[in-house]
Amino acid sequence: MSNGASPQYDVVIIGAGVSGNLIAKQVGLAGKKVLILEAGLPVPDSREEYMDNFYLALAKTPEAPYPALAGRTGNKDHPVGKLPDPATLPTPRATVLGLGGTPETSYLVQAQSWVATHPDDPAPPQNPPTAPNGDVRGLQFSSTFERNAGGTSWHWLGTSLRELENDIRMWTKYQHAVDWPVTYDEMQPLWAKAEKEIGVAASVVQQEPLEVVGLEYPPGYQYPMGPIPTSIVDQTVSQGVSGLQVPGTLPDTPGGSDPQMYDVFVTPTPAGRNSEPYDDRRVCAGNTNCIPICPIQAKWDPTITLGKALDTGNVTVSYQSVAYNVAVDANNKATSVDYYVWSRDSAGKLQKESKSVSGKIIVLAAHAIENAKLLLLSNNWKGIANKSDQVGRNLMDHPLYLTWALAPQPLWGYRGPLATAGIESLRDGEFRKYRASFRMEIGNEGWNFATGDPYTTALDFIQGTDNSGVNPKKERLGGTALALKLNDLLTRQFRIACMFDQTPLQENRVQLDLDSYGKPVNTDGLGIPRPKVEYGFDTYTMEGFRMAAYVCSQVYKQMGAQEFTKNNVGGTGDFTYRGVNYHYYGAGHVVGTHRMGPDPYTSVVDSSQRSHDVQNMWVVGSGSFPTVCTANPTLTLLALAFKSADSIIAALKSY
Amino acid sequence: MTTPPNNGGSAPSEAVVQDFANMSAALMGFQASFIRPFLDPVNLSGIFYQFAVAQVGQTMMDALMSAFDALSKQTPPLTAQQIADTLLEVSSPTPSNQALLCQSIIAMWYLGSWYPPPFQKDGLQQVISSQAYTKSLAWNTAQAHPMGFSAFPFGYWSQPPGPLTDFGVNTGGGQ
Repeated sequence: MSNGASPQYDVVIIGAGVSGNLIAKQVGLAGKKVLILEAGLPVPDSREEYMDNFYLALAKTPEAPYPALAGRTGNKDHPVGKLPDPATLPTPRATVLGLGGTPETSYLVQAQSWVATHPDDPAPPQNPPTAPNGDVRGLQFSSTFERNAGGTSWHWLGTSLRELENDIRMWTKYQHAVDWPVTYDEMQPLWAKAEKEIGVAASVVQQEPLEVVGLEYPPGYQYPMGPIPTSIVDQTVSQGVSGLQVPGTLPDTPGGSDPQMYDVFVTPTPAGRNSEPYDDRRVCAGNTNCIPICPIQAKWDPTITLGKALDTGNVTVSYQSVAYNVAVDANNKATSVDYYVWSRDSAGKLQKESKSVSGKIIVLAAHAIENAKLLLLSNNWKGIANKSDQVGRNLMDHPLYLTWALAPQPLWGYRGPLATAGIESLRDGEFRKYRASFRMEIGNEGWNFATGDPYTTALDFIQGTDNSGVNPKKERLGGTALALKLNDLLTRQFRIACMFDQTPLQENRVQLDLDSYGKPVNTDGLGIPRPKVEYGFDTYTMEGFRMAAYVCSQVYKQMGAQEFTKNNVGGTGDFTYRGVNYHYYGAGHVVGTHRMGPDPYTSVVDSSQRSHDVQNMWVVGSGSFPTVCTANPTLTLLALAFKSADSIIAALKSY
Repeated sequence: MTTPPNNGGSAPSEAVVQDFANMSAALMGFQASFIRPFLDPVNLSGIFYQFAVAQVGQTMMDALMSAFDALSKQTPPLTAQQIADTLLEVSSPTPSNQALLCQSIIAMWYLGSWYPPPFQKDGLQQVISSQAYTKSLAWNTAQAHPMGFSAFPFGYWSQPPGPLTDFGVNTGGGQ
């Protein structure tokens, strides 16, 4: 296009994930020509290939089924197999196994502050440092993502909760964080469209008790299909917490107190998995494997929408195509996308060919971290669409605090979808002025997430160890005694995961991994600079952790359950607040890196996810969320993609 | 390791595989007819036997099988639990290499993976095969199924599971 020729496509989309595929489908249905540039591999002909990767993986992490990373044998130095160096891969991505590692194993370069303050000291301090304002800095960003057709939502859980009204107007209501530039009323029809696209199983009647936190549906609204049955774990917790109330804040919460008592109760979780045949897909069979992979595609994933996009006849996908520059002309118009097409030669050596493609409209839909990276890479690594200086900033997650316990009687976990209910009743209240709100997800997979069970407990009683905490006498058992011991323990295991609406912070950010001379420090196998992340929590967020630990303990106490939660200190994902250790996990809910807002000087995109600065460019996905809120993000990011698609189709009329 | 691994070698006889299944069942507290049914197209007993032999050598496996054979023929007869406790040396603070091999055999069935016994210095931890995972038995002790491999119908999770015996566990501890 730079030579004056017509653009080759109406729309060029970077990334074949949730948002990219939906926009491709909608624009394709409108009769416009779309090219998707997908960095990774196509959807395999059969998901058996991915299932085999999963079955054979020693560590069954979220990334385990997808184009193989680790070898399948472990040894003393590499218990789960040696990880490849991201510098040798065309599409390296953040992985659970790479967390805590150096750039030789971790794609994300974690800019822990000890690196900056103690350049000669290879050992991190015992605890992350605390800033003068009480923030803990230098934390690890623990969320991971995929780079292949379908994206990270191959392994989303299926949780399809709507945000609450106060989630998206935090500043107006609680004078904390920022408002979203859309209203609750505006979101309602968009959520309905997203629920139809996914096929969400839920019952409005079952959700009605959540009116106490402001959840509302338009009159007469019905979900596309009836709810997924709750598990015995859910039923047991629900009965166990009957009558339980907790205060809004704990004593000595900085900033103020909310002494109101809030009811703790369980509600079924709206789910993107089939309770009846839908869209030619079968009903959920409870494989207990939504993460990392549903074996039967009863759970919606973005490859389904990709198939529909291709069926329009107007959408083309170029795989193994990694974008590294969006060219913007003097009129602030995006003209083309430069990308590498990668392949491996017969000797396995990585090859790349540089190409360029033009479109009337360019859409970045590559993931919150990859979108920020591409914006910063463009214009010779000087960045584009960044008048606000907000590109890459406000990096958020749903930091996840996990607690686990043994119930007094069997409740039979390891059965059904990974989660079918939660405690949503504490998601909103005046306490949001003073501490982070959270939702509580009840797990159906025993202590699999918590301790790696049944492996850990089984090996403990086979080998006479106590890594699980349930074999303090280090008994060694065999025969029926072993089977009955495991039956007694495994059938009573359950866990609760709390996910926080963390504060957006300017200093939590994604940058390019460049040195002070602007030269790349760590690159991928194509020579592209890698993302460097900085992360930390403010006291508002950590006060949420303190409350969550308290609430979980109250739940277990009232149920008569014995809590086994273990928080380490000094490792990656650990911090200490008010003398108590906490461990957090990533939820995979990466948010905030191209925040939307009404003001071009404080936000990157508008409420349609259209760049304020580059008028024919949209930057879409959860990176646009101004705050991470209290619902899992996929439903809302899909809802926002519908809005973006409409605005793109409208804009094409003027191009 | 007393003899070099033979990487499986020729297929063991039916009788040897049945003996290995019987011994495994006793060590694990499962019904032998459950882990080696009359029609057994997957033949995990044979696969695991060959795999273990490849890891620790034929001599060591033969010695273990002989020990099991002797215990099985004792009079008055020992219960399966007594045989398991004896082979695993559960009351010894320092189990022998043979008992450590028994631990690895239990782990192989329970978890579908090879956990090298401490004496196997060059051993590699690994998932033995896809079917070793999808048929691994620790999940059965939870009255459940391996994550990612279930034959139960929609909604089964809202009802209690069947009895532990339906999942192959020898709940009585007898023969």
